[in-house]
Amino acid sequence: MLKIVIFISILFGSLLAKDCASCHPKDAKNCQHSLHYTLKKAINITRVAWGIKDSNVTLQTLPLPKTDIKKPSDLVDDFLRRKCLKCHLGNRSSGEKGMKRGKNCLACHTPHQKNGKCQKGKISMDKCLSCHNKEFVGGDFLGLFPKDYDKSYRAPLTKDGRYPPKKYGIDFHHLSPDIHYQKGMTCVDCHDKNDMQGIKKVSCTDCHKNLSKKNHTAYHKKLACSTCHSAWNNNSYELSVFRDNTSDYKKWKNLTLQEDGYLTNFLRIALRSKKKIPPKMPDWITHKFKEGIWYSGYRYKRWENFNLANSKDGRIMIIRPLFQYRISYRDKNGKMILDDANKIDGKKIEVWLPYSPHTISKRAKSCESCHNNPLIINPKKTGYEVLDMQLPNNIINGSKLTKKQIKKMTSKRYKKIRAKMLFGSD
Amino acid sequence: MKLKNILSLLALLSLFILVFSIFSNETKIPKKITKPDQCMSCHADMSDIDHAHPKEIFGCASCHGGNKWATNKKDAHRDMVLNPARLEHVSIFCIKCHKNIIKRISNSMMQSQSGILNVLKYQWGESKELNSTAGIADIRGDTNISLAQNHFRKLCAACHINQDEKIFKNQKVARGGGCSDCHRISKTKGNLHAKFTTRIPTKNCLKCHNRSNRIGLSYEGVFESAGYGTPYKHGDFTHKMSDGRRFYYNLPDDIHHKSANMSCIDCHSEKGVMGNGKKHYHMEEAEDIKCKDCHKPHFKKANTLALTLADTNEKVPEPKIIAYTKKFNSPLYNIQKDGNRTDFYRKIDGKKFNLPKMSDKPYHTLAIHKRLDCSACHSLWAPSCYGCHEVYFENGKQFDWVKRKNTKGQWQELRSFLRFENPSLGIGYNKKIMPFAPGCQVIGTIFKDKKVEKFHSMAMAGWDPHTTQKKSRTCVNCHFNPASLGLGRGNLDIKDGNITFNPIYDSTKSGMPFSYPIDAFVSAKGKQFQSTSRKEARSFNRVELQKIVGAYKCIICHDSYSDKIYKDFNKSKKLFYSGKTTCLK
Repeated sequence: MLKIVIFISILFGSLLAKDCASCHPKDAKNCQHSLHYTLKKAINITRVAWGIKDSNVTLQTLPLPKTDIKKPSDLVDDFLRRKCLKCHLGNRSSGEKGMKRGKNCLACHTPHQKNGKCQKGKISMDKCLSCHNKEFVGGDFLGLFPKDYDKSYRAPLTKDGRYPPKKYGIDFHHLSPDIHYQKGMTCVDCHDKNDMQGIKKVSCTDCHKNLSKKNHTAYHKKLACSTCHSAWNNNSYELSVFRDNTSDYKKWKNLTLQEDGYLTNFLRIALRSKKKIPPKMPDWITHKFKEGIWYSGYRYKRWENFNLANSKDGRIMIIRPLFQYRISYRDKNGKMILDDANKIDGKKIEVWLPYSPHTISKRAKSCESCHNNPLIINPKKTGYEVLDMQLPNNIINGSKLTKKQIKKMTSKRYKKIRAKMLFGSD
Repeated sequence: MKLKNILSLLALLSLFILVFSIFSNETKIPKKITKPDQCMSCHADMSDIDHAHPKEIFGCASCHGGNKWATNKKDAHRDMVLNPARLEHVSIFCIKCHKNIIKRISNSMMQSQSGILNVLKYQWGESKELNSTAGIADIRGDTNISLAQNHFRKLCAACHINQDEKIFKNQKVARGGGCSDCHRISKTKGNLHAKFTTRIPTKNCLKCHNRSNRIGLSYEGVFESAGYGTPYKHGDFTHKMSDGRRFYYNLPDDIHHKSANMSCIDCHSEKGVMGNGKKHYHMEEAEDIKCKDCHKPHFKKANTLALTLADTNEKVPEPKIIAYTKKFNSPLYNIQKDGNRTDFYRKIDGKKFNLPKMSDKPYHTLAIHKRLDCSACHSLWAPSCYGCHEVYFENGKQFDWVKRKNTKGQWQELRSFLRFENPSLGIGYNKKIMPFAPGCQVIGTIFKDKKVEKFHSMAMAGWDPHTTQKKSRTCVNCHFNPASLGLGRGNLDIKDGNITFNPIYDSTKSGMPFSYPIDAFVSAKGKQFQSTSRKEARSFNRVELQKIVGAYKCIICHDSYSDKIYKDFNKSKKLFYSGKTTCLK
């Protein structure tokens, strides 16, 4: 009987959490405290950045969006609901073709296969990647870096002359993948149950216990492993977002691929249609369609740039902008309510976060990658907007390197040690 | 001869009388004969073209032809030429005074586009001859059009001088043809004759020099961005280029632009631009100016040409002692010596600036860097467009800029990614070290008879990107930066005395028809991956890479040019390796 219930539920992809909980009460309870369930980190960071003070809400307690829009903070809940929160456990799809998933527990725990069999054993990487693609950690593990949005970046064409195949609704550059991926590991090989449910965070040293003393203990004790061992990182500078309640679609003709499957499909239909299609996009929590389309675009992206900061737990980590926002909103009468708002009280709307790029390589970065990195050693403003946005401000869960730390990086002691290292290997 | 003249005059006169007698009833007879030609009886209000061609002396017909003594419009305008500055007309009208220039411009590369055409044919494997002077005139009649020539006709050929103004869809970049491509600064409107000048504004140069290596844009600090059109302004995209389909953002502009708002013509002499009369293979052979011509000038007395040029310019004061270019000995009449001072006069408005001279400090005099072109150190950035994915539809239609009509075959351009930071270095056309950027990395797809064919031609090109800064790149920025060395982006290190490099970009997985990283000019072992557009140009080789990266070991501590170890670096190294120094002890 139970098998039939599961079978039917999987078929419709809507096995309720409580159905699982009857046998797995502890896991179901733990899950409700996990970030996968509450998404509170992503939600609150964005809300604070957009000007809501002391935001502490979860996916479950997120207020309905405001209707009277005057400032960015009035618009943030709408932005979250319609742009970011496509990826929550209760949502079956984030709009990209071929990326449907189950709901709740089944979001991760079942493959989307026709025979409806529940998957035993490991959670497939495809499940994780149906959300963890884009510029966040996940895609980078496989070496994926989203291409620039414009149609002219859909290259090279395949042998039979087609645009390159999309994955997760995105066209990617392929960069060097993580060593763990190259050796055949998947996400869940490291990110076990305890890690997922927020009980104990996984760390490199859980597995890699016997590190060579020579390179790991002498002077870099405070560094996170990924700071040296990541091969590249995703630095997407400045994200312009634009909610447009008018049906002005024509200009997006070459920019339909905005890492948003719903938008891609919507624009494809709207641009072809002779009838006027009203601008509508779903609220991914309530699943109701609402007026207005959210468009977005970066200023530029780099995989070779990176900055460092002290993380909250005292380690030196790579940081990246997530994001530097510029916000526009046009109402249905064509009036610009917010026109490229990028500051609140004179401060830029931006968040920089310490993170561990999942692009691990066996060989660590050269010393010069940090010790001679002008973005770290000499973070001076140039007066050119496009260059200055590479310098971190408003770091969350961390702080800028101190002057003393930076000075140490170019100290005589460092130079002597490094020179010896280079000559020693002669 | 004289008799002939008289006879023809008589014939003309009788014709005139005949015409006059026929139409005298219908047309108004001018009350008196005007000077210098009868055109003035109707066009007396027309403004002058410039101060060198006053209408009181030249009239209309000496430039525009027609029948200058006719008394009605139809006869007067017969065989008249609207734009005598077009190259097919200059040899009738302008040649009376400007014979020398017309010969030069006819052989110049801006007219023939031979440089572009021949490099393209060479890189696409259609010709083994990189050095050829065959230009646009030589292919005009071709019927069997190759792929490279087709590409040239549909994309590149828009930019040779003497294009037809009317055929430009975007009138903002439209050019009048011939001399007026550069020299015209306003169009004719009613009685206002089109204005011509020798004070050519940069905006005219930018009508062409905004694509490919984008020199004109870079000089002003304009970088074509990745096509997002962000930040959105007023509900629309922002920072559009004049052609409306491209976006840009601002990067540090060239010091010459920043400090003195100099125009292209402030450096580029008339000989450098219009040619010296000879046909050249490549741009650098035709180019006249060198940094040192101004910053380490040789002065001489101003010659007649200098005086004429200054007079035509109107703003720059009469030159006495001036600088000359080393290559063609062209007078730089706006670089004038005044006692111990060297004054630079801006050609557009004659404003005076003090010209800084190249210092004799060790960084400019040391033997270790004698192979460096100025641009290797002083260019901060270069527009680097990786992957030029050309798609050709044989059944499509596109404008052929040589035939000036739509013909079969259509091109579309796609790209991989853009960078502006840390231009690669290599050995340039002058055998010196200079910045390199993709030029061009063609990965082609041809749709032909329902079949798809692929080809690729990967090349890097060296040029002065015109992003000169006073402060040079740092030592490390070249000696230990994989992108600058031409290895591409990734992790550079030294292990057991050898250079190691782990690239980031995975070309095979990204669908490229080659396995090396798309941003790699050369491997860490010195194997050159991509070709160049000159016989002399190449990437660094194994020995050079070892030397450059090897020097970094010393640079870590000895990071100043004035450090004594660089006076005789080879000797210093010998001392070090024989243990006779205190280094690392």
